[in-house]
Amino acid sequence: MKNIIEVENLSKKYGDKIAVDSISFTVKKGEVFGILGPNGAGKTTTMEMMEAMRPIDSGSVLIDGIDVAKHPNKIKKIVGVQLQSSAFYDKVTLIDSLKMFASFYGQKVDPMELLEEVNLIEKARAFPEKLSGGQRQRFSIATALVNRPKVLFLDEPTTGLDPQARRNMWELIEQIKAKHITVILTSHYMEEAQRLCDRLAIMDEGKIIALDSPDKMIKDLLGRGFKPKRTIEQADLEDVYIDLTGKELRE
Amino acid sequence: MKAILTYAWIMLKRFMRDPVYLFFMFAFPLIFLFIFGTIFGNQSSVNFNIAIINHADNDFAKSFVEKFDSDENETFTVNKDVSSMDEAKTKMSRGELDSIIEIPKDFGKISETCHPELVSGSTEYNVDSGRSVRNEPHPATRGFQNDNNINCLPSGQLKVYFDEGSPQAGQTVATIMSGILDEMNAGITGQKPLFTVEQKSAGEAGLSQFDYTFAGLLSYVLMTMGIYALSQQLPSEKKTGSLRRIKATPFKPWQLLTSLALVYLVLTFLSAILMIVVGILVFDFQMRGSWLVLATFATISTLTMIGFGAIVAGAARNENQATMASQLIAFPMMFLGGVFFPRFLMPDWLQNITAWIPLTPVGEGVRYITTEGASLFAVWPQLLMIIGWGLVAYLIAFKVFKWE
Repeated sequence: MKNIIEVENLSKKYGDKIAVDSISFTVKKGEVFGILGPNGAGKTTTMEMMEAMRPIDSGSVLIDGIDVAKHPNKIKKIVGVQLQSSAFYDKVTLIDSLKMFASFYGQKVDPMELLEEVNLIEKARAFPEKLSGGQRQRFSIATALVNRPKVLFLDEPTTGLDPQARRNMWELIEQIKAKHITVILTSHYMEEAQRLCDRLAIMDEGKIIALDSPDKMIKDLLGRGFKPKRTIEQADLEDVYIDLTGKELRE
Repeated sequence: MKAILTYAWIMLKRFMRDPVYLFFMFAFPLIFLFIFGTIFGNQSSVNFNIAIINHADNDFAKSFVEKFDSDENETFTVNKDVSSMDEAKTKMSRGELDSIIEIPKDFGKISETCHPELVSGSTEYNVDSGRSVRNEPHPATRGFQNDNNINCLPSGQLKVYFDEGSPQAGQTVATIMSGILDEMNAGITGQKPLFTVEQKSAGEAGLSQFDYTFAGLLSYVLMTMGIYALSQQLPSEKKTGSLRRIKATPFKPWQLLTSLALVYLVLTFLSAILMIVVGILVFDFQMRGSWLVLATFATISTLTMIGFGAIVAGAARNENQATMASQLIAFPMMFLGGVFFPRFLMPDWLQNITAWIPLTPVGEGVRYITTEGASLFAVWPQLLMIIGWGLVAYLIAFKVFKWE
């Protein structure tokens, strides 16, 4: 499959601290690509440089053949972004908010269609401050889809959500993947990465220390003679929790 | 363009959903209006607080004092609680009195050298009605009075005291007093003064002190809405992150600032219209110019003021920075721009500096339009300067803008 993103020797420094240290990777069209790593590893900085939100110190990012550093506005038009720390205008209905975001791209959208995609039809006339955590994240994805992006960036989309809302979010991301939109996501949940990501990069201290498909990574680990501390159980506590409380969203 | 209008419309809708915010935004200028309106509203001219210390006990002096108590006397407010000269002086030093008028013991006395039998008798005065009355003078028969005649008329000298700190007030009171005395002299002696001064207002009749002040208040509204309101909104959005989310879209800073300028233009107009309606209904504000001219002038002025707000809003990282910076810009403008305190009272060097303050031409223009009915063409020097400042402000604003 064709590469839609090509990152080469991408670097970012904050003063003396090297946040991103000359990383290179490619993302294939239509795949879900995960970036994992502890806090401060440089995941968000990498994402924000790719989104044209943050100046690139050195190296290059090409998305769909367009150089991010040279044409930030062209990039902004073809990507959708869900930021880790952002908010939406209070006292603006979801419909109005979507219309507003669409206008920024010079596009007209059917807000109800977008809200249906993220299962928020009944909240169309609500204000963002009245939404639950999961609803807010789904709305955030709806705003990132107004321009029908080629690449969707999701920065920790499930952090802080309850298990039901997280599973719901996974389904949403799978639906987006089914529409052949390339997804880049960061996460702290290995289970999530394993389920959603076609390939993933593990970052630590600004460097990529591993990059492959989840299955291959696990196989390689076992090949190096790794033995899990205890035998894998057929179910874990989350399975118990979901079994007891059900899969339905609570919001 | 569509993005600018869509954003502006949605922001306006957002403000309309916050009645508490709107209330405070519109109430603030109205409070100023009521304060200044009450101070200047019911007065057609200047007013002085005076005390009269009367040492003379003749009827003439008494009738003279009573003259000041009558309702038709609008220039002086007599403080009747003051009985002694010392008390009056204390009050004057505190600024409660503008002037003290001392009537000496011999005020209004008729000279002892008077020999009434020598007087031809055509002039008399009557103090029973509380004012001097005179016969119509007949210049043919009584052109000049002889010495005896003058000796038989009351005479005296008033003393007008004033505070060293406010010589203007004292001199004005003294001038008005000598005017009153001149009138009395002419009345008693029947002599028509040869040279006189006629007082006449240069503006059209009915222009009140309030109309003059109101123009300043209007300019003040254009400034506060432009500078304060916008400079508070953006930094708070930087904090919540809603501005950061917009940064991820192709919406550019100049589009955002243009859009917000439209929003605050509308809000400023709502606030100004509210003030004008209250000014007309409550304080009888008289508009002499064309509303269309005022609206055009106000639009340009407001956009310039919003430009200054945009500098602060764009550059400040948080609300605290924005509050301090907007105060720093707005306060000197407010006090030096001739909006509340006339610039002609300033020393020359300060006038030369304050002429360049962006609010100065705004205040002048609004004043010329509302009180003199000036046309847009007549206020072109003001317009030119406002537009110049506006260009500078927006250039800086686009340059220093920060999304987060």
